[in-house]
Amino acid sequence: MKEILKLGLILFVITAVAAGLLGFANEMTKEPIAKQVQQTKEEAMKQTLPQADQYESVEVDLPEESMILEVNAGYKGDVLEGFAVKVAPKGFGGAIEIMVGVSKDGILQGVKILNHSETPGLGANAEDPVFTSQYEGKSGQLKVVKATPGAEDEIQAITGATITSKAVTAGINEVLNLIEHRVDTDNNEIIFDFN
Amino acid sequence: MKKIIQRLSNGIITENPTFVQVIGMCPTLAVTTGAENGIGMGLATTAVLVGSNLFISLLRKFIPSKIRIPAYVVIIASLVTLIEFTLKAYVPALYSQLGLFIPLIVVNCIILARAEAYASKNKLLPSIMDGLGMGLGFTLALATIGAVREILGAGKVFGVQILPSSYQPALIMILAPGAFFTLGILMAILNHVRSKKMKNA
Amino acid sequence: MELFILFLSAILVNNFVLSRFLGICPFLGVSKKVETAVGMGMAVTFVMTLASMISYMVYNWILVPLKIEYLYTIAFILVIASLVQFVEMVIQKVSPTLYQALGVYLPLITTNCAVLGVAVLNMNEGYNLIQSIVHGVGAALGFTLAIVLFAGIRERIENNNILTAFQGFPIALITAGLMSIAFLGFQGLL
Repeated sequence: MKEILKLGLILFVITAVAAGLLGFANEMTKEPIAKQVQQTKEEAMKQTLPQADQYESVEVDLPEESMILEVNAGYKGDVLEGFAVKVAPKGFGGAIEIMVGVSKDGILQGVKILNHSETPGLGANAEDPVFTSQYEGKSGQLKVVKATPGAEDEIQAITGATITSKAVTAGINEVLNLIEHRVDTDNNEIIFDFN
Repeated sequence: MKKIIQRLSNGIITENPTFVQVIGMCPTLAVTTGAENGIGMGLATTAVLVGSNLFISLLRKFIPSKIRIPAYVVIIASLVTLIEFTLKAYVPALYSQLGLFIPLIVVNCIILARAEAYASKNKLLPSIMDGLGMGLGFTLALATIGAVREILGAGKVFGVQILPSSYQPALIMILAPGAFFTLGILMAILNHVRSKKMKNA
Repeated sequence: MELFILFLSAILVNNFVLSRFLGICPFLGVSKKVETAVGMGMAVTFVMTLASMISYMVYNWILVPLKIEYLYTIAFILVIASLVQFVEMVIQKVSPTLYQALGVYLPLITTNCAVLGVAVLNMNEGYNLIQSIVHGVGAALGFTLAIVLFAGIRERIENNNILTAFQGFPIALITAGLMSIAFLGFQGLL
Protein backbone atom coordinates (compact mmCIF):
# COMPACT_ATOMS: atom_id res chain seq x y z
CA MET A 1 0.00 0.00 0.00
CA LYS A 2 2.77 2.36 1.01
CA GLU A 3 4.60 1.60 -2.18
CA ILE A 4 1.57 2.33 -4.35
CA LEU A 5 1.21 5.68 -2.60
CA LYS A 6 4.83 6.50 -3.23
CA LEU A 7 4.66 5.50 -6.89
CA GLY A 8 1.46 7.46 -7.35
CA LEU A 9 3.01 10.48 -5.72
CA ILE A 10 6.08 10.41 -7.96
CA LEU A 11 3.93 10.09 -11.06
CA PHE A 12 1.75 12.90 -9.82
CA VAL A 13 4.76 15.15 -9.24
CA ILE A 14 6.05 14.51 -12.77
CA THR A 15 2.64 15.18 -14.30
CA ALA A 16 2.09 18.30 -12.22
CA VAL A 17 5.48 19.75 -13.13
CA ALA A 18 4.87 18.96 -16.79
CA ALA A 19 1.42 20.54 -16.74
CA GLY A 20 2.77 23.61 -14.95
CA LEU A 21 5.56 24.09 -17.47
CA LEU A 22 3.15 23.69 -20.36
CA GLY A 23 0.77 26.22 -18.87
CA PHE A 24 3.64 28.66 -18.72
CA ALA A 25 4.73 27.86 -22.28
CA ASN A 26 1.16 28.31 -23.42
CA GLU A 27 1.04 31.80 -21.93
CA MET A 28 4.36 32.63 -23.57
CA THR A 29 3.37 31.53 -27.06
CA LYS A 30 -0.23 32.73 -26.94
CA GLU A 31 0.62 36.17 -28.25
CA PRO A 32 2.92 35.15 -31.12
CA ILE A 33 0.35 32.55 -32.19
CA ALA A 34 -2.49 35.09 -32.15
CA LYS A 35 -0.26 37.50 -34.07
CA GLN A 36 0.50 34.87 -36.70
CA VAL A 37 -3.18 34.09 -37.14
CA GLN A 38 -4.04 37.78 -37.47
CA GLN A 39 -1.20 38.36 -39.91
CA THR A 40 -2.18 35.43 -42.12
CA LYS A 41 -5.75 36.67 -42.13
CA GLU A 42 -4.79 40.20 -43.02
CA GLU A 43 -2.52 39.07 -45.83
CA ALA A 44 -5.27 36.88 -47.21
CA MET A 45 -7.76 39.75 -47.10
CA LYS A 46 -5.32 42.03 -48.91
CA GLN A 47 -4.70 39.42 -51.58
CA THR A 48 -8.34 38.63 -52.21
CA LEU A 49 -9.73 42.16 -51.99
CA PRO A 50 -6.78 44.32 -53.04
CA GLN A 51 -8.76 47.48 -53.77
CA ALA A 52 -9.57 47.98 -50.09
CA ASP A 53 -7.01 49.24 -47.60
CA GLN A 54 -8.91 48.76 -44.38
CA TYR A 55 -10.91 45.80 -43.13
CA GLU A 56 -13.54 45.57 -40.46
CA SER A 57 -15.16 42.48 -39.12
CA VAL A 58 -18.96 42.39 -39.52
CA GLU A 59 -21.42 40.55 -37.27
CA VAL A 60 -23.81 38.55 -39.40
CA ASP A 61 -26.74 36.47 -38.26
CA LEU A 62 -26.09 33.46 -40.48
CA PRO A 63 -28.44 30.54 -41.11
CA GLU A 64 -27.62 27.53 -38.95
CA GLU A 65 -26.11 25.29 -41.63
CA SER A 66 -23.95 28.05 -43.11
CA MET A 67 -20.34 27.26 -43.97
CA ILE A 68 -19.33 30.89 -43.55
CA LEU A 69 -16.93 31.50 -40.67
CA GLU A 70 -16.46 35.25 -40.72
CA VAL A 71 -17.35 38.30 -42.78
CA ASN A 72 -15.06 41.30 -43.15
CA ALA A 73 -16.02 44.50 -44.89
CA GLY A 74 -13.24 46.13 -46.92
CA TYR A 75 -13.07 49.91 -47.22
CA LYS A 76 -10.95 52.29 -49.21
CA GLY A 77 -10.98 55.38 -47.07
CA ASP A 78 -14.64 55.60 -46.08
CA VAL A 79 -16.03 53.95 -49.16
CA LEU A 80 -17.21 50.35 -48.96
CA GLU A 81 -15.41 48.34 -51.64
CA GLY A 82 -16.50 44.81 -50.92
CA PHE A 83 -16.16 41.89 -48.55
CA ALA A 84 -13.50 39.36 -47.62
CA VAL A 85 -15.37 36.31 -46.38
CA LYS A 86 -13.88 33.25 -44.76
CA VAL A 87 -15.77 30.09 -45.59
CA ALA A 88 -15.06 26.43 -44.78
CA PRO A 89 -16.79 23.87 -47.02
CA LYS A 90 -16.13 20.19 -46.43
CA GLY A 91 -13.71 18.74 -48.95
CA PHE A 92 -12.33 15.26 -49.40
CA GLY A 93 -10.03 15.16 -46.40
CA GLY A 94 -11.82 17.60 -44.09
CA ALA A 95 -12.77 21.26 -44.02
CA ILE A 96 -11.15 23.57 -46.58
CA GLU A 97 -10.73 27.11 -45.29
CA ILE A 98 -11.01 29.69 -48.04
CA MET A 99 -10.81 33.47 -48.07
CA VAL A 100 -13.09 34.86 -50.74
CA GLY A 101 -12.88 38.48 -51.85
CA VAL A 102 -16.00 39.82 -53.49
CA SER A 103 -16.93 43.34 -54.54
CA LYS A 104 -20.03 44.93 -53.06
CA ASP A 105 -21.98 44.24 -56.27
CA GLY A 106 -21.19 40.53 -56.09
CA ILE A 107 -18.22 40.11 -58.45
CA LEU A 108 -15.46 37.77 -57.28
CA GLN A 109 -12.14 39.54 -56.82
CA GLY A 110 -9.87 36.86 -55.50
CA VAL A 111 -9.84 33.42 -53.89
CA LYS A 112 -7.19 32.07 -51.55
CA ILE A 113 -7.07 28.63 -49.95
CA LEU A 114 -5.93 29.10 -46.35
CA ASN A 115 -5.99 25.63 -44.87
CA HIS A 116 -6.88 22.19 -46.11
CA SER A 117 -6.13 18.52 -45.70
CA GLU A 118 -6.72 17.42 -49.28
CA THR A 119 -4.62 14.73 -50.97
CA PRO A 120 -1.19 16.04 -52.00
CA GLY A 121 -0.83 15.94 -55.78
CA LEU A 122 -4.61 15.89 -56.33
CA GLY A 123 -6.95 17.98 -54.21
CA ALA A 124 -4.04 19.97 -52.80
CA ASN A 125 -3.69 21.51 -56.28
CA ALA A 126 -6.65 23.68 -55.33
CA GLU A 127 -4.04 26.04 -53.87
CA ASP A 128 -2.63 26.54 -57.35
CA PRO A 129 -3.43 30.01 -58.76
CA VAL A 130 -4.20 28.29 -62.08
CA PHE A 131 -7.30 26.93 -60.37
CA THR A 132 -8.24 29.78 -58.05
CA SER A 133 -7.79 32.51 -60.68
CA GLN A 134 -10.64 30.95 -62.66
CA TYR A 135 -13.05 32.49 -60.17
CA GLU A 136 -11.92 36.05 -60.62
CA GLY A 137 -14.46 38.29 -62.30
CA LYS A 138 -17.25 35.74 -62.02
CA SER A 139 -20.60 36.28 -60.33
CA GLY A 140 -24.00 34.67 -59.79
CA GLN A 141 -23.89 30.95 -58.97
CA LEU A 142 -21.09 28.80 -60.39
CA LYS A 143 -20.86 25.16 -61.35
CA VAL A 144 -17.99 22.73 -61.89
CA VAL A 145 -17.36 21.05 -65.25
CA LYS A 146 -14.75 18.49 -66.21
CA ALA A 147 -14.15 19.72 -69.76
CA THR A 148 -12.86 23.15 -70.79
CA PRO A 149 -15.49 25.59 -69.55
CA GLY A 150 -17.66 27.10 -72.26
CA ALA A 151 -20.18 29.20 -70.37
CA GLU A 152 -19.54 32.17 -68.11
CA ASP A 153 -20.65 30.35 -64.96
CA GLU A 154 -18.43 27.28 -65.39
CA ILE A 155 -15.29 26.35 -63.47
CA GLN A 156 -12.95 23.64 -64.68
CA ALA A 157 -12.37 20.91 -62.09
CA ILE A 158 -8.88 20.01 -60.92
CA THR A 159 -7.78 16.77 -62.60
CA GLY A 160 -8.57 13.83 -60.32
CA ALA A 161 -10.10 16.03 -57.64
CA THR A 162 -13.71 16.68 -58.55
CA ILE A 163 -14.81 16.50 -54.91
CA THR A 164 -12.36 19.19 -53.87
CA SER A 165 -13.28 21.41 -56.85
CA LYS A 166 -16.97 21.06 -56.06
CA ALA A 167 -16.40 21.79 -52.38
CA VAL A 168 -14.43 24.97 -53.08
CA THR A 169 -17.09 26.10 -55.56
CA ALA A 170 -19.89 25.36 -53.09
CA GLY A 171 -18.12 27.52 -50.51
CA ILE A 172 -17.72 30.36 -52.99
CA ASN A 173 -21.34 30.06 -54.11
CA GLU A 174 -22.41 30.47 -50.53
CA VAL A 175 -20.39 33.67 -50.28
CA LEU A 176 -21.96 34.97 -53.50
CA ASN A 177 -25.36 34.09 -52.09
CA LEU A 178 -24.56 36.00 -48.91
CA ILE A 179 -23.72 39.14 -50.88
CA GLU A 180 -27.05 38.74 -52.76
CA HIS A 181 -28.81 39.04 -49.43
CA ARG A 182 -27.22 42.30 -48.47
CA VAL A 183 -29.76 45.01 -47.89
CA ASP A 184 -28.90 48.42 -49.30
CA THR A 185 -29.15 51.05 -46.61
CA ASP A 186 -28.77 54.78 -46.85
CA ASN A 187 -26.23 55.05 -44.11
CA ASN A 188 -23.06 53.01 -43.90
CA GLU A 189 -24.64 50.21 -41.92
CA ILE A 190 -24.14 46.69 -43.32
CA ILE A 191 -27.13 44.39 -43.06
CA PHE A 192 -27.69 40.90 -44.42
CA ASP A 193 -31.22 39.59 -44.50
CA PHE A 194 -31.87 35.90 -45.04
CA ASN A 195 -35.64 35.91 -44.60
CA MET B 1 34.90 12.25 -27.64
CA LYS B 2 35.14 8.93 -29.41
CA LYS B 3 31.99 7.78 -27.71
CA ILE B 4 30.10 10.85 -28.85
CA ILE B 5 30.95 10.26 -32.48
CA GLN B 6 30.16 6.61 -32.07
CA ARG B 7 26.68 7.48 -30.70
CA LEU B 8 26.01 9.79 -33.64
CA SER B 9 27.10 7.34 -36.31
CA ASN B 10 25.23 4.57 -34.56
CA GLY B 11 21.96 6.45 -34.93
CA ILE B 12 22.58 7.71 -38.43
CA ILE B 13 24.03 4.55 -39.98
CA THR B 14 24.48 1.38 -37.91
CA GLU B 15 21.08 1.42 -36.25
CA ASN B 16 19.24 3.81 -38.52
CA PRO B 17 15.70 3.86 -37.09
CA THR B 18 13.99 3.75 -40.47
CA PHE B 19 16.10 1.54 -42.68
CA VAL B 20 17.61 -0.80 -40.10
CA GLN B 21 15.23 -0.92 -37.14
CA VAL B 22 12.11 -0.24 -39.22
CA ILE B 23 10.30 1.71 -36.49
CA GLY B 24 8.40 4.97 -36.54
CA MET B 25 6.85 4.06 -39.86
CA CYS B 26 3.68 6.17 -39.70
CA PRO B 27 5.25 9.61 -40.09
CA THR B 28 7.90 8.13 -42.40
CA LEU B 29 5.23 7.20 -44.89
CA ALA B 30 2.69 9.93 -44.24
CA VAL B 31 4.57 13.22 -44.42
CA THR B 32 7.17 12.40 -47.07
CA THR B 33 5.29 13.84 -50.03
CA GLY B 34 8.21 16.23 -50.40
CA ALA B 35 11.77 16.64 -49.15
CA GLU B 36 10.92 19.78 -47.19
CA ASN B 37 8.15 18.14 -45.18
CA GLY B 38 10.40 15.16 -44.51
CA ILE B 39 13.09 17.41 -43.03
CA GLY B 40 10.53 19.39 -41.01
CA MET B 41 9.07 16.26 -39.48
CA GLY B 42 12.55 14.79 -38.93
CA LEU B 43 13.80 17.86 -37.09
CA ALA B 44 10.66 18.14 -34.95
CA THR B 45 11.12 14.50 -33.94
CA THR B 46 14.84 15.06 -33.32
CA ALA B 47 14.04 17.92 -30.95
CA VAL B 48 11.64 15.72 -28.98
CA LEU B 49 14.13 12.83 -28.96
CA VAL B 50 17.00 14.92 -27.66
CA GLY B 51 14.74 16.47 -25.02
CA SER B 52 13.23 13.21 -23.88
CA ASN B 53 16.61 11.46 -23.69
CA LEU B 54 17.93 14.44 -21.73
CA PHE B 55 15.16 14.48 -19.13
CA ILE B 56 14.87 10.73 -18.83
CA SER B 57 18.61 10.36 -18.35
CA LEU B 58 18.51 13.11 -15.70
CA LEU B 59 15.58 11.52 -13.89
CA ARG B 60 16.68 7.91 -14.33
CA LYS B 61 17.44 7.45 -10.63
CA PHE B 62 14.31 9.28 -9.51
CA ILE B 63 11.76 7.34 -11.56
CA PRO B 64 10.98 3.88 -10.11
CA SER B 65 11.03 1.21 -12.78
CA LYS B 66 7.44 0.16 -12.09
CA ILE B 67 5.99 3.43 -13.30
CA ARG B 68 8.68 4.29 -15.82
CA ILE B 69 6.52 3.85 -18.92
CA PRO B 70 3.72 6.24 -17.86
CA ALA B 71 6.35 8.68 -16.58
CA TYR B 72 8.21 8.59 -19.91
CA VAL B 73 4.96 9.03 -21.79
CA VAL B 74 4.11 12.15 -19.79
CA ILE B 75 7.57 13.62 -20.40
CA ILE B 76 7.41 12.88 -24.12
CA ALA B 77 3.87 14.22 -24.47
CA SER B 78 4.88 17.47 -22.75
CA LEU B 79 7.82 17.93 -25.10
CA VAL B 80 5.58 17.28 -28.09
CA THR B 81 3.14 19.91 -26.86
CA LEU B 82 6.03 22.37 -26.52
CA ILE B 83 7.08 21.68 -30.12
CA GLU B 84 3.48 22.16 -31.18
CA PHE B 85 3.35 25.62 -29.55
CA THR B 86 6.67 26.59 -31.10
CA LEU B 87 5.72 25.54 -34.61
CA LYS B 88 2.32 27.22 -34.35
CA ALA B 89 3.90 30.46 -33.19
CA TYR B 90 6.92 30.68 -35.48
CA VAL B 91 6.52 28.26 -38.42
CA PRO B 92 2.75 28.06 -39.00
CA ALA B 93 3.14 26.88 -42.60
CA LEU B 94 5.04 23.78 -41.51
CA TYR B 95 2.56 23.24 -38.69
CA SER B 96 -0.39 23.11 -41.04
CA GLN B 97 1.51 20.85 -43.44
CA LEU B 98 2.36 18.25 -40.81
CA GLY B 99 -0.99 18.67 -39.04
CA LEU B 100 -2.15 15.52 -37.32
CA PHE B 101 1.33 14.02 -37.26
CA ILE B 102 2.67 16.57 -34.77
CA PRO B 103 0.68 15.24 -31.79
CA LEU B 104 1.37 11.74 -33.07
CA ILE B 105 5.12 12.20 -32.44
CA VAL B 106 4.15 11.03 -28.93
CA VAL B 107 3.51 7.52 -30.15
CA ASN B 108 6.50 7.41 -32.48
CA CYS B 109 8.09 4.19 -31.25
CA ILE B 110 11.62 5.55 -31.81
CA ILE B 111 11.28 7.93 -28.89
CA LEU B 112 9.99 5.47 -26.32
CA ALA B 113 12.42 2.85 -27.60
CA ARG B 114 15.44 5.12 -27.07
CA ALA B 115 14.20 6.13 -23.65
CA GLU B 116 13.80 2.54 -22.61
CA ALA B 117 16.87 1.08 -24.31
CA TYR B 118 19.38 3.85 -23.84
CA ALA B 119 18.56 6.99 -21.87
CA SER B 120 17.22 5.15 -18.83
CA LYS B 121 20.55 3.38 -18.40
CA ASN B 122 23.14 5.93 -19.49
CA LYS B 123 24.68 9.23 -18.45
CA LEU B 124 23.47 12.58 -19.65
CA LEU B 125 25.85 13.43 -22.47
CA PRO B 126 25.86 10.07 -24.26
CA SER B 127 22.06 10.03 -23.96
CA ILE B 128 21.74 13.40 -25.63
CA MET B 129 24.10 12.30 -28.38
CA ASP B 130 22.15 9.10 -28.81
CA GLY B 131 18.95 11.10 -29.27
CA LEU B 132 20.66 13.45 -31.69
CA GLY B 133 22.10 10.57 -33.73
CA MET B 134 18.81 8.72 -33.91
CA GLY B 135 16.96 11.92 -34.76
CA LEU B 136 19.36 12.82 -37.54
CA GLY B 137 19.22 9.27 -38.89
CA PHE B 138 15.44 9.58 -38.95
CA THR B 139 15.60 13.01 -40.60
CA LEU B 140 18.00 11.74 -43.24
CA ALA B 141 15.72 8.81 -44.05
CA LEU B 142 12.64 11.04 -44.28
CA ALA B 143 14.42 13.57 -46.44
CA THR B 144 15.64 10.85 -48.82
CA ILE B 145 12.21 9.28 -49.16
CA GLY B 146 10.63 12.71 -49.55
CA ALA B 147 13.14 13.73 -52.23
CA VAL B 148 12.66 10.53 -54.24
CA ARG B 149 8.86 10.87 -54.12
CA GLU B 150 8.99 14.55 -54.99
CA ILE B 151 11.34 14.01 -57.96
CA LEU B 152 9.31 11.17 -59.43
CA GLY B 153 5.90 12.49 -58.48
CA ALA B 154 6.31 16.16 -59.32
CA GLY B 155 9.71 16.55 -61.02
CA LYS B 156 10.83 18.83 -58.20
CA VAL B 157 13.07 18.85 -55.14
CA PHE B 158 12.40 21.31 -52.31
CA GLY B 159 9.73 22.79 -54.57
CA VAL B 160 12.25 23.63 -57.31
CA GLN B 161 11.69 22.12 -60.74
CA ILE B 162 14.68 19.96 -61.65
CA LEU B 163 13.37 17.57 -64.26
CA PRO B 164 12.55 19.07 -67.68
CA SER B 165 8.89 19.91 -68.14
CA SER B 166 8.68 17.20 -70.80
CA TYR B 167 8.79 14.72 -67.89
CA GLN B 168 5.27 13.59 -67.11
CA PRO B 169 5.19 13.32 -63.27
CA ALA B 170 4.16 9.93 -61.92
CA LEU B 171 1.40 11.17 -59.65
CA ILE B 172 1.15 7.81 -57.89
CA MET B 173 4.48 8.49 -56.16
CA ILE B 174 2.97 11.41 -54.24
CA LEU B 175 -0.19 9.49 -53.41
CA ALA B 176 -0.32 6.91 -50.64
CA PRO B 177 0.93 3.87 -52.64
CA GLY B 178 4.07 5.76 -53.67
CA ALA B 179 5.13 5.97 -50.02
CA PHE B 180 5.09 2.20 -49.64
CA PHE B 181 6.85 1.61 -52.97
CA THR B 182 9.60 4.14 -52.33
CA LEU B 183 10.43 2.82 -48.87
CA GLY B 184 10.25 -0.81 -50.05
CA ILE B 185 12.59 -0.23 -52.97
CA LEU B 186 15.05 1.91 -50.97
CA MET B 187 15.23 -0.85 -48.36
CA ALA B 188 15.80 -3.48 -51.02
CA ILE B 189 18.64 -1.42 -52.48
CA LEU B 190 20.23 -1.08 -49.03
CA ASN B 191 19.85 -4.83 -48.42
CA HIS B 192 21.55 -5.49 -51.72
CA VAL B 193 24.44 -3.16 -50.96
CA ARG B 194 24.86 -4.68 -47.51
CA SER B 195 24.89 -8.28 -48.71
CA LYS B 196 27.46 -7.38 -51.37
CA LYS B 197 29.67 -5.80 -48.73
CA MET B 198 29.38 -8.89 -46.56
CA LYS B 199 30.43 -11.11 -49.46
CA ASN B 200 33.45 -8.96 -50.12
CA ALA B 201 34.51 -8.92 -46.50
CA MET C 1 -27.41 8.42 -43.59
CA GLU C 2 -24.67 10.89 -42.83
CA LEU C 3 -23.39 8.57 -40.11
CA PHE C 4 -23.39 5.68 -42.54
CA ILE C 5 -21.27 7.66 -45.01
CA LEU C 6 -18.87 8.60 -42.21
CA PHE C 7 -18.66 4.95 -41.20
CA LEU C 8 -18.09 3.66 -44.72
CA SER C 9 -15.55 6.32 -45.59
CA ALA C 10 -13.58 5.55 -42.43
CA ILE C 11 -13.38 1.88 -43.43
CA LEU C 12 -12.74 2.15 -47.14
CA VAL C 13 -12.06 5.61 -48.53
CA ASN C 14 -9.93 7.08 -45.77
CA ASN C 15 -8.62 3.72 -44.64
CA PHE C 16 -6.45 4.37 -41.60
CA VAL C 17 -3.57 2.18 -42.68
CA LEU C 18 -3.58 2.45 -46.44
CA SER C 19 -4.48 6.06 -46.96
CA ARG C 20 -3.88 7.91 -43.70
CA PHE C 21 -0.80 5.91 -42.65
CA LEU C 22 -1.93 5.37 -39.08
CA GLY C 23 -1.09 2.14 -37.29
CA ILE C 24 1.67 1.11 -39.68
CA CYS C 25 3.85 -0.45 -36.97
CA PRO C 26 1.42 -3.23 -35.99
CA PHE C 27 0.36 -3.45 -39.63
CA LEU C 28 3.89 -4.46 -40.62
CA GLY C 29 4.83 -6.14 -37.36
CA VAL C 30 1.88 -8.39 -36.51
CA SER C 31 0.79 -9.49 -39.96
CA LYS C 32 2.78 -12.63 -40.63
CA LYS C 33 -0.19 -14.87 -39.86
CA VAL C 34 -3.91 -14.32 -40.46
CA GLU C 35 -4.70 -15.64 -37.00
CA THR C 36 -2.58 -13.08 -35.16
CA ALA C 37 -3.80 -10.35 -37.50
CA VAL C 38 -7.40 -11.11 -36.55
CA GLY C 39 -6.45 -10.99 -32.87
CA MET C 40 -4.71 -7.67 -33.24
CA GLY C 41 -7.61 -6.29 -35.24
CA MET C 42 -10.10 -7.27 -32.57
CA ALA C 43 -8.01 -5.81 -29.77
CA VAL C 44 -7.58 -2.55 -31.67
CA THR C 45 -11.30 -2.34 -32.46
CA PHE C 46 -12.12 -2.79 -28.81
CA VAL C 47 -9.69 -0.15 -27.57
CA MET C 48 -10.31 2.33 -30.37
CA THR C 49 -14.07 2.35 -29.83
CA LEU C 50 -13.64 3.03 -26.11
CA ALA C 51 -10.85 5.54 -26.74
CA SER C 52 -12.99 7.56 -29.18
CA MET C 53 -15.74 7.74 -26.60
CA ILE C 54 -13.66 8.53 -23.53
CA SER C 55 -11.31 10.99 -25.21
CA TYR C 56 -14.38 12.86 -26.46
CA MET C 57 -15.67 13.09 -22.91
CA VAL C 58 -12.32 14.10 -21.47
CA TYR C 59 -11.83 16.79 -24.09
CA ASN C 60 -15.29 18.30 -24.13
CA TRP C 61 -16.29 17.81 -20.51
CA ILE C 62 -12.98 18.40 -18.73
CA LEU C 63 -10.37 20.15 -20.88
CA VAL C 64 -12.69 22.64 -22.61
CA PRO C 65 -14.53 23.83 -19.47
CA LEU C 66 -11.18 24.26 -17.69
CA LYS C 67 -9.74 26.05 -20.74
CA ILE C 68 -6.73 23.74 -20.88
CA GLU C 69 -7.39 22.33 -24.36
CA TYR C 70 -3.69 22.63 -25.09
CA LEU C 71 -3.02 19.69 -22.78
CA TYR C 72 -4.94 17.40 -25.14
CA THR C 73 -1.90 15.37 -26.21
CA ILE C 74 -1.01 14.43 -22.64
CA ALA C 75 -4.64 13.85 -21.68
CA PHE C 76 -5.36 11.57 -24.64
CA ILE C 77 -2.24 9.47 -24.30
CA LEU C 78 -2.90 8.99 -20.58
CA VAL C 79 -6.50 8.03 -21.34
CA ILE C 80 -5.33 5.48 -23.88
CA ALA C 81 -2.59 4.05 -21.67
CA SER C 82 -4.89 3.62 -18.68
CA LEU C 83 -7.66 2.31 -20.91
CA VAL C 84 -5.40 -0.38 -22.29
CA GLN C 85 -4.35 -1.37 -18.79
CA PHE C 86 -7.94 -1.41 -17.60
CA VAL C 87 -9.18 -3.44 -20.57
CA GLU C 88 -6.38 -5.90 -19.97
CA MET C 89 -7.42 -6.40 -16.33
CA VAL C 90 -11.12 -6.69 -17.12
CA ILE C 91 -10.64 -9.18 -19.92
CA GLN C 92 -8.33 -11.25 -17.75
CA LYS C 93 -10.97 -11.50 -15.03
CA VAL C 94 -14.07 -11.87 -17.19
CA SER C 95 -12.89 -14.09 -19.99
CA PRO C 96 -9.60 -15.90 -19.74
CA THR C 97 -10.10 -17.34 -23.25
CA LEU C 98 -10.42 -13.89 -24.76
CA TYR C 99 -7.44 -12.80 -22.71
CA GLN C 100 -5.39 -15.59 -24.16
CA ALA C 101 -6.35 -14.51 -27.63
CA LEU C 102 -5.83 -10.76 -27.21
CA GLY C 103 -3.52 -10.46 -24.21
CA VAL C 104 -0.23 -10.22 -26.03
CA TYR C 105 -1.47 -7.47 -28.33
CA LEU C 106 -2.91 -5.18 -25.71
CA PRO C 107 0.32 -3.58 -24.43
CA LEU C 108 1.32 -2.88 -28.04
CA ILE C 109 -1.79 -0.82 -28.58
CA THR C 110 -0.68 2.07 -26.37
CA THR C 111 1.90 3.06 -28.94
CA ASN C 112 -0.36 2.32 -31.90
CA CYS C 113 -0.76 5.73 -33.45
CA ALA C 114 -4.11 4.77 -34.94
CA VAL C 115 -5.67 5.01 -31.48
CA LEU C 116 -4.25 8.44 -30.61
CA GLY C 117 -4.85 9.39 -34.24
CA VAL C 118 -8.57 8.71 -34.06
CA ALA C 119 -8.88 10.72 -30.85
CA VAL C 120 -7.09 13.73 -32.36
CA LEU C 121 -9.00 13.47 -35.65
CA ASN C 122 -12.34 13.41 -33.82
CA MET C 123 -11.30 16.54 -31.99
CA ASN C 124 -10.01 18.33 -35.12
CA GLU C 125 -13.12 17.53 -37.12
CA GLY C 126 -15.37 18.64 -34.28
CA TYR C 127 -17.38 15.41 -34.26
CA ASN C 128 -20.06 14.99 -31.60
CA LEU C 129 -20.14 11.98 -29.30
CA ILE C 130 -22.10 9.73 -31.68
CA GLN C 131 -20.04 10.74 -34.71
CA SER C 132 -16.82 10.17 -32.75
CA ILE C 133 -17.86 6.64 -31.82
CA VAL C 134 -19.03 5.80 -35.35
CA HIS C 135 -15.78 7.19 -36.75
CA GLY C 136 -13.77 5.22 -34.19
CA VAL C 137 -15.52 1.94 -34.95
CA GLY C 138 -15.24 2.51 -38.70
CA ALA C 139 -11.57 3.37 -38.52
CA ALA C 140 -10.86 0.32 -36.38
CA LEU C 141 -12.74 -1.99 -38.73
CA GLY C 142 -10.81 -0.45 -41.62
CA PHE C 143 -7.59 -1.23 -39.77
CA THR C 144 -8.75 -4.80 -39.15
CA LEU C 145 -9.78 -5.27 -42.77
CA ALA C 146 -6.42 -4.02 -44.02
CA ILE C 147 -4.28 -6.04 -41.61
CA VAL C 148 -6.21 -9.30 -42.16
CA LEU C 149 -6.09 -8.99 -45.96
CA PHE C 150 -2.42 -8.10 -45.74
CA ALA C 151 -1.64 -11.10 -43.54
CA GLY C 152 -3.46 -13.35 -46.01
CA ILE C 153 -1.28 -12.09 -48.84
CA ARG C 154 1.89 -12.36 -46.76
CA GLU C 155 1.15 -15.98 -45.89
CA ARG C 156 1.11 -16.77 -49.58
CA ILE C 157 4.23 -14.78 -50.37
CA GLU C 158 6.08 -16.68 -47.68
CA ASN C 159 6.54 -19.71 -49.93
CA ASN C 160 7.41 -17.79 -53.05
CA ASN C 161 10.81 -17.36 -54.52
CA ILE C 162 11.71 -13.71 -53.93
CA LEU C 163 14.92 -11.86 -54.74
CA THR C 164 17.13 -11.92 -51.66
CA ALA C 165 17.25 -8.13 -51.46
CA PHE C 166 13.46 -7.94 -51.36
CA GLN C 167 12.89 -10.54 -48.66
CA GLY C 168 11.28 -9.39 -45.45
CA PHE C 169 10.16 -5.78 -45.17
CA PRO C 170 10.76 -4.60 -48.76
CA ILE C 171 8.34 -7.07 -50.32
CA ALA C 172 5.85 -6.44 -47.52
CA LEU C 173 5.97 -2.71 -48.26
CA ILE C 174 5.51 -3.26 -52.00
CA THR C 175 2.52 -5.49 -51.21
CA ALA C 176 1.06 -2.79 -49.00
CA GLY C 177 1.59 -0.30 -51.83
CA LEU C 178 -0.39 -2.48 -54.23
CA MET C 179 -3.19 -2.82 -51.67
CA SER C 180 -3.15 0.92 -51.25
CA ILE C 181 -3.65 1.33 -55.02
CA ALA C 182 -6.65 -0.99 -54.78
CA PHE C 183 -8.09 1.11 -51.95
CA LEU C 184 -7.57 4.29 -53.98
CA GLY C 185 -10.34 2.88 -56.15
CA PHE C 186 -12.82 3.46 -53.32
CA GLN C 187 -12.36 7.21 -53.59
CA GLY C 188 -15.13 7.32 -56.16
CA LEU C 189 -17.55 6.01 -53.51
CA LEU C 190 -17.89 9.31 -51.70
